[in-house]
Amino acid sequence: MQFSKIEVKQLHKTYHVPQREAGFKASVRSLFRPIYQDVPAVKPLDFVIESGEMVALIGPNGAGKTTTLKMLTGLLHPSGGDINIFGFNPSERKPAFLRSISMVLGNKSQMLWDIPPLDSFFVLAEIYSIPKEEAVSRINELVEMLEMREILKKPVRNLSLGERMKCELVASLLHRPKVLFLDEPTLGLDINIQNRLRHFILEYNHRYGATVLLTSHYMADIERLCSRVLLIHHGELLYDGQLSGLNQMIEPIKMIRVTLSQQNGVNPKPDWLPASAEIVSQEKQHLHLRVAQKEAAACTAALLHNLPVADLIVEDPPLETVIDRIYQDGDL
Amino acid sequence: MNHRGGFALIKATWFSWMQYRSFFFVLAFGWMIPPLVALFVWSAAAGEGSLGGFTRGEFITYYLVLVLVNQITYAQVNWTVGDIIREGTLNHWLLKPLSAIYQALSSELAGKVVYLIFVIPVGLLLAILLKPEIQTTPINFVLSLVATLFAWGLRFAWGFWLAILAFWITRADSFLALQDSLVFIFSGMVAPIPLLQGSLQQIANILPFRYMVGFPVEILVYDLSNKAILFGFLMQLTWLAIAVLLSRTLWVKGIRHYSAVGG
Repeated sequence: MQFSKIEVKQLHKTYHVPQREAGFKASVRSLFRPIYQDVPAVKPLDFVIESGEMVALIGPNGAGKTTTLKMLTGLLHPSGGDINIFGFNPSERKPAFLRSISMVLGNKSQMLWDIPPLDSFFVLAEIYSIPKEEAVSRINELVEMLEMREILKKPVRNLSLGERMKCELVASLLHRPKVLFLDEPTLGLDINIQNRLRHFILEYNHRYGATVLLTSHYMADIERLCSRVLLIHHGELLYDGQLSGLNQMIEPIKMIRVTLSQQNGVNPKPDWLPASAEIVSQEKQHLHLRVAQKEAAACTAALLHNLPVADLIVEDPPLETVIDRIYQDGDL
Repeated sequence: MNHRGGFALIKATWFSWMQYRSFFFVLAFGWMIPPLVALFVWSAAAGEGSLGGFTRGEFITYYLVLVLVNQITYAQVNWTVGDIIREGTLNHWLLKPLSAIYQALSSELAGKVVYLIFVIPVGLLLAILLKPEIQTTPINFVLSLVATLFAWGLRFAWGFWLAILAFWITRADSFLALQDSLVFIFSGMVAPIPLLQGSLQQIANILPFRYMVGFPVEILVYDLSNKAILFGFLMQLTWLAIAVLLSRTLWVKGIRHYSAVGG
């Protein structure tokens, strides 16, 4: 049977980086005697992604996300460990492997800058040996899905960032890759376009069963697209599982929003509030608190008892807050 | 090899370069200046007589042909490939099931066509104004064409290996500027090689630069002996082989280095 998943075993990468002190003397010395330091970018990683899955790779800047993606696409040779993508070792960069993957880099374009996107699409069709009629029908399909017909004949340099990203997606999907790597696909785009692209990626995944691995700083991307996340921090895999489970990893908290019927300062924190409660913000009649889950009920009662409460909402913290706490703490 | 894809890429690159034709026309004009200056200096020096066996008309012919050969063989691969390595666009190349040589060739061939659109009419105009004298045989004409083709191959492969240095050296383009100066001196541009004195001529005959520009022009314009032509072709092919070998080896090593350190 054909191997149809992504399997990563003990994958790691250490960069050999030249180091030097500031100043002229040090710069001369480094010419003759460069000093190198080994920087572990990715520590041994293990995970398996099944065919058709959509997985997010998250972590703060410098966590090793892009390094991992580059190793999975064959752009970077691992320092050790094994990668098996649908039966291929990416480092060998075999044409059959390259035909079955695609990578979208949010900050670098593969479109030819001075000619209309349509011309670039046809070049790609030739590169991937897609017959002309087939290429036309695939381009039409993708163009319909992304609602971008009107931009097909303008030179790429005249397009907006969002329009360019649409072109980028068409260019990357023309050869129907089995695995799609998206590195920050919505970087710098407005909410409207972000939504449209998310919807598109989801639909594409349903239609063709493509496996998608994406990195993003926008939680909305991840909440909408991926049921599973891999959280990397300092090159280590901290979490692999359901997105909803992430909140449980750290000490669970609740957020409480209170609207008061009259302005009533609670600063500094009154002693009738439970120990874990923290005032996040206070503005006119609006009060925003964070409290450990186990004390949430007590906190709510205390607020109702001591303040002229007009409205009160208890909610789960937004994912951003959770992630942010993980990034700051560095460990769980 | 994926020839269809390569051809399509060449075509598209040409479309995109045509958008900039005026820029390339200016560039091509810039490249014509040094040989044209040499043309006027030498033809003035020759006056009504001759200089080192060259008459005024022969100087004009030599340089007009040289301008054309220089444009045909000028390799921009060294600039384009170097930029691609520095700017990190190389990742896109490496993700495509298409040999990198096509990416390099596409800008090379695309540029060539754009330049020639400019250079041929200008060359013809100069020929009408300056009245070159030419005496050549059909055999020499064919040999000169063959030598021009090899010269382009040599300049391309030579430029390619220099460009690949960008994998290791951040500003490898400084080597390219140096190489352009060496071409100016030793390729027959500042003066036809047969006019160079003693050891300078010997050096020029051994270095690769004469075989990038001057040699095909000499076959056509200058009455080279059969032995000299044979020697020229041998040197040209030897340098071509060396350049191709260097390019291949450095490319493989460069990609290995690139995938070790990341783009």
